[in-house]
Amino acid sequence: MKSTEIEKAKEYKYGFTTDIESIKAPKGLSKEVIQFISKIKKEPKWMLDWRLKAFDRLKKMKEPNWQKPKYPKINYQELYYYSAPKSAQDKPKSLDEVDPKLLETYAKLGIPLKEQEKLSGVAVDAVFDSVSVATTFKDKLTEKGIIFCPISEAIKKHPDLVKKYLGSVIPITDHYFATLNSAVFTDGSFVYIPEGVRCPMELSTYFRINASETGQFERTLIIADKGSYVSYLEGCTAPMRDENQLHAANVELIALDDAEIKYSTVQNWYPGDENGKGGIYNFVTKRGACRGKNSKISWTQVETGSAITWKYPSCILQGDNSVGEFYSIAITNNHQKADTGTKMIHLGKNTKSKIISKGISAGKADNTYRGLVDINKKALNSRNYTQCDSLLMGNKCGAHTVPYIKNKNSSSVVEHEATTSKINEEQLYYCNQRGLNQEEAVSLIVNGFCKEVLQQLPMEFAVEAQKLVGISLEGSVG
Amino acid sequence: MLKIKNLQASVDKKSILKGLNLTIKPGELHAIMGPNGSGKSTLANVLSGKNGYKISGEIIFEGENLNDIPIEKRAQKGIFLAFQYPLEIPGVNTNIFLKTSLNSIRKSKGKKEVDTLAFLKLVKEKSSELGIDEKILSRQLNVGFSGGEKKKNEILQMKILDPVFSILDETDSGLDIDALKIIAKGVNSSRDSKKSFLVITHYQRLLDYIKPDFVHVLSDGKIIKTGCGELAEELEKTGYSKLN
Amino acid sequence: MQNFEINSNQIDKIDKISTEEKSFRIKNLELFKAVGFPHKRLEDWKFSDFRNIIDKNFEELNTKKVSSVVNKIDLLKDFEHNYILLVNGKLHSSNFDHEEKNKVKINSFDKSIDYKINKNPLVCLNHALAEGGYSLEVEKNYKLKKVIVIYNLFTKDIKNNILNNKNKIKVNENSELHIIELTINESKSKFINNVYESIILKKNSKVKNLVIQSNKSNGFFHKFSKSKLSFNSDYSNFIFSSGLKFNKIDIECDLIEENSKCNILSALCLNKEEHQEIKTLINHLAPNCKSNQKIKNILNGESKGVYQGKIYVKDIAQKTDAYQLSKALLLKENAEFNSKPELEIYADDVKCSHGSSSGNIDQESLHYLMTRGLTREDSIKLLIKGFLNDIIEFIKNPSIKKFIETKLENQINGY
Repeated sequence: MKSTEIEKAKEYKYGFTTDIESIKAPKGLSKEVIQFISKIKKEPKWMLDWRLKAFDRLKKMKEPNWQKPKYPKINYQELYYYSAPKSAQDKPKSLDEVDPKLLETYAKLGIPLKEQEKLSGVAVDAVFDSVSVATTFKDKLTEKGIIFCPISEAIKKHPDLVKKYLGSVIPITDHYFATLNSAVFTDGSFVYIPEGVRCPMELSTYFRINASETGQFERTLIIADKGSYVSYLEGCTAPMRDENQLHAANVELIALDDAEIKYSTVQNWYPGDENGKGGIYNFVTKRGACRGKNSKISWTQVETGSAITWKYPSCILQGDNSVGEFYSIAITNNHQKADTGTKMIHLGKNTKSKIISKGISAGKADNTYRGLVDINKKALNSRNYTQCDSLLMGNKCGAHTVPYIKNKNSSSVVEHEATTSKINEEQLYYCNQRGLNQEEAVSLIVNGFCKEVLQQLPMEFAVEAQKLVGISLEGSVG
Repeated sequence: MLKIKNLQASVDKKSILKGLNLTIKPGELHAIMGPNGSGKSTLANVLSGKNGYKISGEIIFEGENLNDIPIEKRAQKGIFLAFQYPLEIPGVNTNIFLKTSLNSIRKSKGKKEVDTLAFLKLVKEKSSELGIDEKILSRQLNVGFSGGEKKKNEILQMKILDPVFSILDETDSGLDIDALKIIAKGVNSSRDSKKSFLVITHYQRLLDYIKPDFVHVLSDGKIIKTGCGELAEELEKTGYSKLN
Repeated sequence: MQNFEINSNQIDKIDKISTEEKSFRIKNLELFKAVGFPHKRLEDWKFSDFRNIIDKNFEELNTKKVSSVVNKIDLLKDFEHNYILLVNGKLHSSNFDHEEKNKVKINSFDKSIDYKINKNPLVCLNHALAEGGYSLEVEKNYKLKKVIVIYNLFTKDIKNNILNNKNKIKVNENSELHIIELTINESKSKFINNVYESIILKKNSKVKNLVIQSNKSNGFFHKFSKSKLSFNSDYSNFIFSSGLKFNKIDIECDLIEENSKCNILSALCLNKEEHQEIKTLINHLAPNCKSNQKIKNILNGESKGVYQGKIYVKDIAQKTDAYQLSKALLLKENAEFNSKPELEIYADDVKCSHGSSSGNIDQESLHYLMTRGLTREDSIKLLIKGFLNDIIEFIKNPSIKKFIETKLENQINGY
């Protein structure tokens, strides 16, 4: 890296910290904190009003408690809503201070040292190499009229688009965590693909500069205009070292006529230790609206991290002939808990949805698939196919399948299948006989079990995800 | 290469191998014949290190006692078992499986891992040598394979992994004559002064194509008779019962 | 419901009860009153808003005593059988002439109160107010020679009543019992029948229970059925139901010892605005048990079919084999099928699967049959019969099978 770049980076970072220190971001949730966030982001008034409306609503709401994984009560007044919960001073100064186990995981994933520093939240002075990468990409995207920027920037530069679509899929009144996010979200991505444009590359937070600073209340808004296509990758290969930290992001997707959005997530937040101490609460609201006819939204997720994962990436199939897909792998080990699935709301005619869910549970973990397929009266000739497979390793863990299926018209067909199994001893023997050790064999078999989902991922993600599957289950078969 | 001394094996207190002795030298091909239930497959499983058997006696492989060595370590030392009923593993691509296997074995020997390109070249070479359609390797491991395809896949794996000691557990059963020839070709083309084979079979048919150096008759957990190739023909005519 | 009030006075009117029982009843009455009639905000009633259905259909409700006098009843002639006659839920008379003496015992329901608190408000209501019903016990080592038909007669006298009954069946070691429960309705008015059923199967015993509710009725039925299966016992429950305004059967089956087996099969034919729900909870609490559920629904008119089924496998229940299938044929545009087939598994060496599907009659099959010269109507009827066939096939006794087939035929012809 050139010395001038390093200088620049220092400057940027310096400026950032003084800002915070001079205002001293207050702890807790209040009207003032929201005004503070809005002010520091130099937001227009309409945005502040929107946030405050959400906050007013929030005060009347209760945290949901129907989910399977229970968690200790969160004291919302003890959280920071602007700065990252740990200030730069608290961060490890070098990789020597980072948990060696974490570094082991990185090494296995083949993440370069520089990235390792970045991922473990080391307060590095050098700017990550991808800055230049991102800039090159940006030029290419601008050429096509694609907008890909932090949402805070979009609020200022593209207020019409933001006003029109923000909260149109996840209304501010939706549910507790979504409303909380609406009130206090700090940053996230904004994507707009103009009519007829096929985005020439996979868009990813991984490449975006300030991605890692967006903190716990991310907000992402993706709009695919008529006839456009975009594939978006959300790489959370960032196992942060933290006490039970709340991550409550909102992601809204809008696909207009003939548009297609593919959204892939590989989530590997810190899951807590073997005894279930620490780890992220991943309470995320993700919802897509197939608003136009022939539109398509496809969610793919590989969830291996977090102490508790609680999310249901959903599709509202409004446009006739629209298609919703959900492919999911959820792996829980040790004391991890996952309650995840999807909602497919069929409103338009000839709408189709497909759900493939693979849940793997090991150690003392609990894995729940929860899903809703709702075919409304007017959604004539609609189809749904759901397949939920669970794999259990040992008898200290649990697998739970809770599908809600509603079919309100006779021309539609809904099919649901689910199985539960274990890794067959004979399969392990066969692999062992070919020279594979227990861990390699388990990883291979589990990857086979997950194949239908893994093949939905873009190439570079798929490789990483396959490794993650193996790593997440290490030590689970004795 | 292999020395088995007074090998006894039992499952759930049921004794299956009852004092089996066998010595196989480098370059030799031994055939084991015997009626159903005589312990043929148990012998194959025990040699591979399969769990669940209570073992006594000694299995010495290249001077080392195998008794406490786990399955994968034995495989890495060059023991290959062609299964009687090859397992189906859904979703697992056969090529990926085999590449992982090959590299595990190479790693254990301190050799460099092969990359995908070199691996595919090896696969192409070995499959065309045997006249097997390499397409079966891009499918899920044994899933939806016919009986013949599964057996051919086992032999192809043997060729690719290139073990020093191969056990064929009734690889010939249920095969038509063409598939049988492929199996035989796989074995015959691998034979040299360093590699040894243990071919377990119920019928003499396979031995028309693979010429054994020794034929043993296994009955009730023991080798009751040993001879050369003619013994197999004799058995075919007179049946096993005459030997008891 | 405006005109429905119950208070503890009603418990006072119940004959001969101990103080202990009285307090049990009062406690349950309070539990019921805390929630009232179950509504859709309760997870277990999500798809069957009983409160709303009652509000729409009843202007008043009462828990008055009704007479159980009846002159004569026409017995079935289709097959030889023993019988029990229930009138408005109360035990009226019985006849076990086909059996050996003292092998089968019957009484009015005994008033034991060893129940756990149940979160189903209707069960609480039953615990508070139940009277009548029967208690049936089969001695050890006795296999009944003939089926027992339970004639469950509702008379003209009832109007806007809520009838709460409790029934109990106990089959001792190495014994076998086959019963057919047949609902006969003579009431022209609306009423609610709320039943609590307890079934106990001892070691190596076998119970077959065939529930037939098929004549048009203004009855609104709810039954909670709890069964406990000991070692190597075998329980089958068949439900053939049609023509009821509302019917919810809530089955809870505990497989408490190894090798026990439970089978739940149902063929439901709904029409008009009828609403039926089968809810099951199969608790695999011991290793090597087997459960099988097959639920088939034919939904015509604006009817609503619901299936909520849950399989629970405890960590020690290895080698469990559990299967669950729910299927619905939606014949008319406004019919609706909701299902929630749930698995909760804590043991790894198990075979558990479920399937659920709903949709219209397969158009290609229909087309195929019509090219073979069948009319559209006949083709549809044939396909419906085919759809229900694997349920009917479970009935082995030919005359009983024929009896059921005729009942179903009549139902299908009514479409």
